Amino acid sequence: MKRSVALLAVVLCVLLSFSALAKTKLIFAVHWSDYQVEGVKDENGNVKVKGLRQYVEEYQKLNPDVEIEIQSVPFDEYLKRILISHTAGVISDIYVLYSLWGVQLVDSGILDQVPKDIADKVRASFVKAAVDGATIDKAIWGVPVEVANYALVYNKKLLREAGFNEPPKTWDELIAMAPKLTKRNPDGTVAQYGFAFLAGWDSAVVHPFLALLYSNGGKPFKDDFTECLLTSKEAIEALEAELKLFKNGATDPAASVWTFPTGKVAMMIMAPWYETALKLGFKDEYEATVGVAPIPYLKKPATIGYTWFIAVDSASKNKKAAWDFIRWMTLQDAGGFTRMGELMAKNIGSIPPNKQDIAFFKAELNDLYTSVFVKELENTYQEPNVAQGQEIKTILMREIVEAWNGRKTAEQALSDAKKQIDKILEEFYK
Amino acid sequence: MAGLSETKGPVRRKKLKTNTGAGYAFLAPALLFYSIFFIYPVIFSFIVSTKRWNMLVPLSRARNVGFSEYSYLLRDQMFLGVFRNTLVYALATVSLTIVVALVLAVLINNAKLSVLWRFIYFAPVVTPQVAIGTIWGYLYRPNNGLFNSILRLFGIKPIYWLTDPNVALWSIIITAIWAGIGGSMLIITAGLKNIPQDYYDAAKIDGAGPFRQFFHITVPLLSPTLLFLTATGFIGAWQVFDLPFTMGRNAPARSVMTVSWYVYETAFQSLRMGRASAGAFLLFCVIFGFTLFILWLFRRGGIKGYE
Repeated sequence: MKRSVALLAVVLCVLLSFSALAKTKLIFAVHWSDYQVEGVKDENGNVKVKGLRQYVEEYQKLNPDVEIEIQSVPFDEYLKRILISHTAGVISDIYVLYSLWGVQLVDSGILDQVPKDIADKVRASFVKAAVDGATIDKAIWGVPVEVANYALVYNKKLLREAGFNEPPKTWDELIAMAPKLTKRNPDGTVAQYGFAFLAGWDSAVVHPFLALLYSNGGKPFKDDFTECLLTSKEAIEALEAELKLFKNGATDPAASVWTFPTGKVAMMIMAPWYETALKLGFKDEYEATVGVAPIPYLKKPATIGYTWFIAVDSASKNKKAAWDFIRWMTLQDAGGFTRMGELMAKNIGSIPPNKQDIAFFKAELNDLYTSVFVKELENTYQEPNVAQGQEIKTILMREIVEAWNGRKTAEQALSDAKKQIDKILEEFYK
Repeated sequence: MAGLSETKGPVRRKKLKTNTGAGYAFLAPALLFYSIFFIYPVIFSFIVSTKRWNMLVPLSRARNVGFSEYSYLLRDQMFLGVFRNTLVYALATVSLTIVVALVLAVLINNAKLSVLWRFIYFAPVVTPQVAIGTIWGYLYRPNNGLFNSILRLFGIKPIYWLTDPNVALWSIIITAIWAGIGGSMLIITAGLKNIPQDYYDAAKIDGAGPFRQFFHITVPLLSPTLLFLTATGFIGAWQVFDLPFTMGRNAPARSVMTVSWYVYETAFQSLRMGRASAGAFLLFCVIFGFTLFILWLFRRGGIKGYE
C-alpha cells in the first residue's frame, strides 16, 4: 500500500513538473508560399531574405516559454481550412485573413476583440485603405499586414512599337490605343492582345470593374448595405467601358493576364504582388519592358484595394500570448520599421500598410513597379466589407463574364447580379 | 409425434437463434463500416440541409430553415442550369464512352499486339484527372494549341474550345470520353472473352457476316456488361467535378458548371452548408432514381443483372 502511494506521488510530481515546464503553444495559420515562410536561401541554404520562420525563431529565443507552429495553407484552400478546423475543433490561434471574409468571421464570433492599445495604434499609424479593410461595424478586428491595390501594367516596348510613348491616362485613351496594340493571326485569332482581362478568377474580374465603378463616381452598395447599386448609371457605364474593349477587338474572353510575361499582352490591370513573376518572366529585359501607371480613369482617378489582417481566434486558449506576438511582429519598432513590414517589403513583395514601414522601405517600395501602387494608395477604395462578400463577388464575376461573352448586355448582367445580391443583403441587413 | 416435436422444436429454435446471432456477428464489421461512412453522412447531410449553417458556429446554434434551401435550389436558374449541364455531360459521356469502347474492344480483341493496344487505351485511366485537364487545356489553346493547329492546316477557323460558352462543355466531354474509354474497354474485353467461340463459328457456317455477328451475338451477350457500365458510368458522371473544374474556369459558369462543382462552391466559398447539402441530397436522389430507371430499362429488355 505504502509503495503504491509513493509511486502515485512520484507520477504526480513528474506530471506537475512537466506541466510547469510546458510551453505556451501558438498555431499560426498563413496562406504564404514556401519561400515566404522559410525565407529566400542561396545554394548553401544560407538565408538571403528572411521569411516568417526566421522572425518566429527570433521571438521564440526572446520568449522561451512560447512555441509557435506555422501552418501554411495555399490560398485556394485557406478559407476551407478555417471552416473545417472549426468544425473539427482544432483551431489555429492566429490567422492572417482576407478582409472580404471578415464580416462572416466576426458575425460568427470567431475573432477575438483587439486590445485597445493595438486598435488605437492601427487607427493612428496605418494607411486608410488598410484601416478600412480591418474595420467591421466600426471596430478594428486585427492588424493589417498587407494592403494591395491595382494599377495599369503595360509593355513599354509594345507601346513604343505602336507609336505610343506614354501609357493612357483616361479610359477613353485606353480604348483608342488598345486596338492599335492588338495583332491578329491570318485566321483571325489574336496573336497579341492590346488589353487582357482574366475570366477564371473572381478578383481579376471584379476588382477592375469596381475600380472603374469608383472612378465613374459610383459605388457597389448603399452605405448601410441594405441595397446593391449595380443598376446605377455609373455602374452600367463602368461595365460598358470594359465591353468597348471587347467590341473594338482589343481583347476577348480567352485573353489572360498570365500571358503578359510572354510579351503577348500590351496592357492589363494588376496588383503589386505580380512583380516577382514579371521579373522572372522578362529577366534582363524587365526594366526596359515593364511600365506601371495609375488605372486610366473615367471621371476621376480611383482604384480598388483589399487588405489582409492578422487576427486571433476567440476560442484560442492563449489569446494573451497571441496578441503579445502580434504586437511584437506588427507594431513594435525594430529600428525604424516593424518586422512584418520588413517581411512584406523585402520578401513577400507587398505594400506594408504601416506608414512607418512605407517611409522606411523606400528602396524596396520606390522601384519602377511598386512605387505607382504606393502612390495610388491615396486613390484606393477598399473592397467593401459586406456579409457574404465572397458569395457576392462570385455572383458579380459570373454576370460580368456573361457580358464579356456577349450573352448579356451590361445592363442585363448588372440587373441580374443586383437581383441575386439584393436577396443576400435582405437576408443579412434587413 | 407430439413428443418428438416437443423435444425437437426448442433445439431447432435454439440452433437457429445461435446461427442468426453468429450471422449478425459476422455482418457487424461491414454494417458498422457502412453505418459510419454511408448512413451517418447521409442523415447528417439531410439534417444540415434543413439548417442555415456556415460551419463556423456549432450546428446546434444554426437556424432551422426547413426545406427552404430545397425550394430555393429548385427555383434557382443557376442550379437548374448546372443540373442541365450535368445531365448533358452524363448522357454524352456515358453513351459515347460505351459505344467507342465497345467498338475498340471488338477491334482489339483478336488483333495483333492486343495487350499493347489495351495498355495504350488504359493509360489515361490511371492518370489523375487534374493532370488530364491541364494537358488537354494546352491542347485546346486557341492560338498555339494542337487542335487549332490541325484545323488551320485544313483552312478551318480556329475554335475557342474552353472559353466559347457553346463549345466549352463539349470540349470537356470529349476529354472525359478519351479519359474513360480505357476502363470501359477493359471490362468489355473481359465480357468478350466469356462469349464462347462456338456461337461465332456456327454463325459463320450460317453465312452471318461480321456486322450480323456483332449485333446478333456480341451485343446481346454483352448486355449484362453494358448494364454494369451504364449504371456505374452514370453514377460517376453525375458526380463529375475535377475535369470541368480544371478546364472550365475561364468559360461562363452557367455553360460548364456541374452540380458537384456548384455544391463545392456553395459550401466552401459562399459558406452555405445547408444549401450545399440540399444540393448534394438532390444529387443523391437523382443518381438513385436514375440508377433504378436504368435497371428497370434493362430489365424490360430481359437483362436482370451483371453476371
